[in-house]
Amino acid sequence: MNPLPLTDADLNAYVDGALAPARAAEVEQVLAKDAAITARVAEMRQQNSALREALDPWLADPIPPALLDAARMPQASARWRRFAPYFAAAATLLLGVASGWYLRDVTLERGGTPTTFARQAALTHALYAGDINRPVEIWAAEEKRLVTWLSRRLGLAVHAPDLNGAGFALVGGRLVAGNERPTALFMYENADKQRLSLQVPKQPPRTSEVAFRYAIEDGVGVYYWIDDACAYALSGQLDRAQMLTIGRAVYAQLAAAETGTPLK
Amino acid sequence: MSTEPSLPHPELLAAIPRLRRYARVLTGETTRADDLVQETLARAWEKRRLWAAGTDLRAWLFTIMHNVFVNQRALARRDAQNVSIDGDEDGNAAWQIPVRAMQQTRVELMEILREVGRLPVDQRVVLVLAAVEEMRYEEIAAVLSIPVGTVMSRLSRAREKLRRVAQATPTEPSTLKIVK
Repeated sequence: MNPLPLTDADLNAYVDGALAPARAAEVEQVLAKDAAITARVAEMRQQNSALREALDPWLADPIPPALLDAARMPQASARWRRFAPYFAAAATLLLGVASGWYLRDVTLERGGTPTTFARQAALTHALYAGDINRPVEIWAAEEKRLVTWLSRRLGLAVHAPDLNGAGFALVGGRLVAGNERPTALFMYENADKQRLSLQVPKQPPRTSEVAFRYAIEDGVGVYYWIDDACAYALSGQLDRAQMLTIGRAVYAQLAAAETGTPLK
Repeated sequence: MSTEPSLPHPELLAAIPRLRRYARVLTGETTRADDLVQETLARAWEKRRLWAAGTDLRAWLFTIMHNVFVNQRALARRDAQNVSIDGDEDGNAAWQIPVRAMQQTRVELMEILREVGRLPVDQRVVLVLAAVEEMRYEEIAAVLSIPVGTVMSRLSRAREKLRRVAQATPTEPSTLKIVK
């Protein structure tokens, strides 16, 4: 049986790997004989790879907070959300401080600003812990360089607590943007590939919350503590008891190391 | 709260860079692109009952984005009968993503971006979905709600156009450098 004549669509599909194997074999037979068609195919492949090379760098652009926020499960109906800033402003005036506090969050949220420290930490954790290949910028092998770099960027002497006792080894770390504050992030992983992150912002968030808190944001548990000098958030998808145990260990080590003191 | 159907949050986050890139290809502009992504995510949450868990979330999001884009364009066109909207009536205007923002230092890559930006949006989109997102033709057809045959004809027209441009302008000597 004579093969059907080659069309431009055949060549395109061949380049995109979309031809049935039998037809692809026929194309290859033609390619073996016809230099012009071979050149055309090479040119299309070249176009494809140039396009990928040109457009792939866009993937590395930092994601605006408004989009991170839009990826979260909305708390209320769409109609409410759309008008939330206006309702929230009015309701805050009417209902006073107690209920107003929650609505203030909604308002800020619609403005594209993740509000609480815990939420910000959970979002950041989900983003990087979910990245299998590149969860950190500097790997644990270069811990010293990592710690020096982060300390310099934050103006704080930070260090990565040792969580091997809890079964979590340091993966590495990176600098992240937490609510407009540069924040150091240390990532840990256990034998089951569960990941934990410890985040330390440059300045503690202005807040009346003191002492230790535990929150669950989008399924990520966040154990955090804030005082005048510094703030820490430990995030992970572990159960609460485990998080608290590890949180205490972190706190004890940091207290011992006097982390968070300004660099001289 | 636990019975409410949900979308996998980590996968949604992971899809954002690709959604942004596709939105830039669609709108040809960075600010409108991010608005489009935001609207798409909002719509995805509204329609989350329609997503079949375990199926390709990315393709589903791309489909939503395409529909949002088409609707917005239809609205803009309707408004345009009263108010003039600058250019872009057919969504065919060349994109305005500044070359600088493309972070490209290689001349031939900047060249191809410029040429892709000049393609009609219908062809541009098919080309990017096939060549860059590496979607199968059937997936592209589903995302764009068009027959597979149309996908193929648009694709071959897009490539033909790029090829003619490439032949008309011989590659610049590689000594040309971009100075930041």
